[in-house]
Amino acid sequence: MLNEYLYDHLGRSYPRKNQYLAELWKLEDAYKKEPTTVLKEKISDFKKAKDNHPYNLALKEFEIKEKAYLNEKKQLLLEEEKRHPNFSPDILKLIIEEKSAMLDQNFYASYENLSYDALYGLDNAKARLRILPEVIRRLSEIEEDIKLISEKEVTSFIENKDSSTIVEDKIHLEKALKDLKEKKSEGLISEKALTNRRKELKKEYKYKQQVKKLDDPLLRKQEELRSKKFERENFLKTSKRLLKDDLADVRRNTPVEVYAEKKYLPWLTLPFPGLGQLILGQKTKAMLFLIATLFIYFAAIPYALGFGNYQGQGISGLISLATSGKRTDRSIIFMIEGIIALTLLTISLITYIFSFLDVRKVEKQMVEGQRPRNWFETKSALLEEGFPYLVSLPALFVIVFIVLVPIMTTILLSFTNMGPKTQSKFPWVGLSNYKMLLAGQGLVGSVFWKISLWTIIWTLGATTLAITLGFLLALLAHNPRIKGKGFLRIIYILPWAVPAFITIMFFSIMFSTGGELNMILSKLLGRSVDVKNSMVWTRLVLILLQGWLGSSYIFLLSTGVLQAIPEDLYEAAEIDGANSWQKMLRITLPIVLFQTAPLLVNQYTFNFNNFSIIYLFNGGGPFSPLEYGNLAGSSDILISYIYKLTINNQYQSIGAAVSIVISVGLMFIAFLGYKNTKAFKEERL
Amino acid sequence: MRKKKKGLYLSDKPPLTTFGKLILGLNYFILFSYCIVIIWPLFRMTTAAFNGKQGRYISLTGRYEFSLKHFEYLFKETLYLSWVKNTLMIAVVTALLTILIVSFTGYAYSRFRFKGRKASLMTIMLIQTIPTFAGITAFFTLHSIVSDFFPFFSRQMMLILIYTGGGIAANTFILKGYIDSISTELDDAAKIDGCSYMQIYRLIIMPVVRPMLAIIALWSFIGPFMDYMLPKALLTKPESYTLAAGLYTLMNNRETLNQPAFAAGGLLTALPIVILFIALQKQLISGLAQGSVKG
Repeated sequence: MLNEYLYDHLGRSYPRKNQYLAELWKLEDAYKKEPTTVLKEKISDFKKAKDNHPYNLALKEFEIKEKAYLNEKKQLLLEEEKRHPNFSPDILKLIIEEKSAMLDQNFYASYENLSYDALYGLDNAKARLRILPEVIRRLSEIEEDIKLISEKEVTSFIENKDSSTIVEDKIHLEKALKDLKEKKSEGLISEKALTNRRKELKKEYKYKQQVKKLDDPLLRKQEELRSKKFERENFLKTSKRLLKDDLADVRRNTPVEVYAEKKYLPWLTLPFPGLGQLILGQKTKAMLFLIATLFIYFAAIPYALGFGNYQGQGISGLISLATSGKRTDRSIIFMIEGIIALTLLTISLITYIFSFLDVRKVEKQMVEGQRPRNWFETKSALLEEGFPYLVSLPALFVIVFIVLVPIMTTILLSFTNMGPKTQSKFPWVGLSNYKMLLAGQGLVGSVFWKISLWTIIWTLGATTLAITLGFLLALLAHNPRIKGKGFLRIIYILPWAVPAFITIMFFSIMFSTGGELNMILSKLLGRSVDVKNSMVWTRLVLILLQGWLGSSYIFLLSTGVLQAIPEDLYEAAEIDGANSWQKMLRITLPIVLFQTAPLLVNQYTFNFNNFSIIYLFNGGGPFSPLEYGNLAGSSDILISYIYKLTINNQYQSIGAAVSIVISVGLMFIAFLGYKNTKAFKEERL
Repeated sequence: MRKKKKGLYLSDKPPLTTFGKLILGLNYFILFSYCIVIIWPLFRMTTAAFNGKQGRYISLTGRYEFSLKHFEYLFKETLYLSWVKNTLMIAVVTALLTILIVSFTGYAYSRFRFKGRKASLMTIMLIQTIPTFAGITAFFTLHSIVSDFFPFFSRQMMLILIYTGGGIAANTFILKGYIDSISTELDDAAKIDGCSYMQIYRLIIMPVVRPMLAIIALWSFIGPFMDYMLPKALLTKPESYTLAAGLYTLMNNRETLNQPAFAAGGLLTALPIVILFIALQKQLISGLAQGSVKG
């Protein structure tokens, strides 16, 4: 359907120049208001006689003449090029461009009112003529300067070593040194004075030389030449950009007039991204899309079909998992290659959609009257609007292949039965792993709930202890009457600063049978205690140890917050008659908690996944096969249980299922947390 | 004159009552006894490292004699130096990669309102709560596939990528929060003067966020020193271990067990990090706090 007017991207309207289309619009408009068969026939007759319409005849004539003109222009420009043999290539190019613009101006001026394409040719030529002469003039000036400078005959007195002034300096230096030596031998000055003065003299000489160097005509000439050349490059670059900007402006301000929508074009381009762009005349953009097309048809799709795989069979390998394959085929590789194939297909799909939408948009805008963007404009727009996407690409790449693909693999693995006996080949088993875990059955399921319970006790106990301890110490140290705060701070930072694995391992040594702390503990209690062989003791010591490790960080954090609380809050409370307990409960505690809440939550999730302390302290032990089976110890938490299942015992599928269960739990808690943080609520817009 | 001053109470705090003095004394007592609780184990570790009278086990009853023989053992008989080298390499590359990636994403998420911004931010924040270890099976297989095509792709490189990938979300969030707190007036002025976004980033944002980038780099650098789980699971050869995995072999492996040498290695490892932490404690804390409090 045609519009009466043409519209540009700002919505400004332009009258139609195409008389045929204007008349057609009138007819169609009338038909729309009053749909009669007479009008309908008239329209179809009018469309049939399209080629004989006087305007179209004139347009055709123009097109023929334009073609002839363009051929003629080529010849003229070649001649022009021969006429200026002694210009530099850059200037020559500009002169040709200027000449071409002049010719264009002459030719298109007589067709200005015929069509917008001719008007565009005219405006384009005018824009070029506005800028080019000045650029040529300035550039030749610079080149003239360069020529003048480089032709200047200069002699360097640095190169010429015999030059009188330099020799003079040298003689001067040598004489001074000699005098100095004589003075020393006469005993007038000390050894130290001699060396110092010698250094001084040499430095002076060097400095003089340097000053002379700057005065040297040859060096100066080189420097000038370099700066002029830089000016030339820079000027050329900016003026080219300026010209392109102006031409883009002309492009935006001159509408285009096309007959009807090519509705088929987006669909045609759908299987071959880039085709539509090529037809619409956006060549560079089309090239980029064509590269994407090559990627789709020569990399993504073949890979998904199983060609070029490392071992797997693309998507179909994901379904079969190599169960009927060769002996050397491994299901896990089939699975991962299937996931990679899926990822590549997703990228392809996005490209298809993107190209389709792009062509449809450009096409629609053309009918409205806007010229398709040229590469210069597309590039600017890409760097402008596409900037955040462009710079996030490396991050996206890493996240897809290092985070998403492994997580997908873990999710899929949890639906298989990959285990110690089925390492190379394993089938899909549906939900049975989850059923086993939730029902608490089987070799591994039976201990799942026990371990979960201890994990929760551990997380709450250890973290709360660390937070309470750290906060109390901070509160005590905050007392203004306490002296030696700097010292306290340095000591209190130590458990946080010493890498945790070192302290944990050392505590582990000290709590082992015969270890130092174990003995002290036995003496204190008056009976022999073996921490690492007792479940209760191991758990207790673990919690205390984490309290020792974690309190340090909380101490530093709360000290910072405490120092930032304004004193007048307390003064106001005192005037109102609050005692110190009330001040603490109503002022200090809420402020500290509010400020550090997200970090405290992080502490809980950190300890939930605190593998190091559990594994390094006692390896998850002590082991009690009757209660915990052979796979886990009595102080194992879920994360170390996963480690043992996956790495030590090769129950990868069950390990994956446990991972998924705790991940879902953690994600749910994190979601509740983040949803309410300031970061997501108070978005700066 | 002097005599009078002695009796004068000059503090601006009210004088202490007997009860107050008691409390203050108790206060000091608690604070300094906790100091002992902190120092004692570290002190024991230091003495163990320097005690020449000890064999392969650390024991309480043995006599003390100053000696550097455990350090000698550490450098000559163990792979300590290559562990240090591995850890440093992994840490430096991780820090550089993280900075490179995160500085762009932080800028993009802070300054641009693009489609899918909030959703993607939420998604990566949620995904990063999944423990990195969950993907361990895939890491093994991915590594064996890639290293078959590119033999130079070592397990350590895989580790670097895992550390980098794991840190992107949180660090983007921290940096985004920091850039949010910088006024956009400078950006706007530069935009009007014709700077492209890349130039704005390079000339304006980058210098302002440099302290934060330094902190992020520092944390990414320290990470590989602290982590035990992934190196232990991924790296197989003792020569390619990082410090955490390597030192553990001195403590737990029957053939290589040498507890005093472990203490010596631990001491040497801890010392530079402790100095770093003490010197930069304020920056490190503010870096952690920034992401969550202001975010």
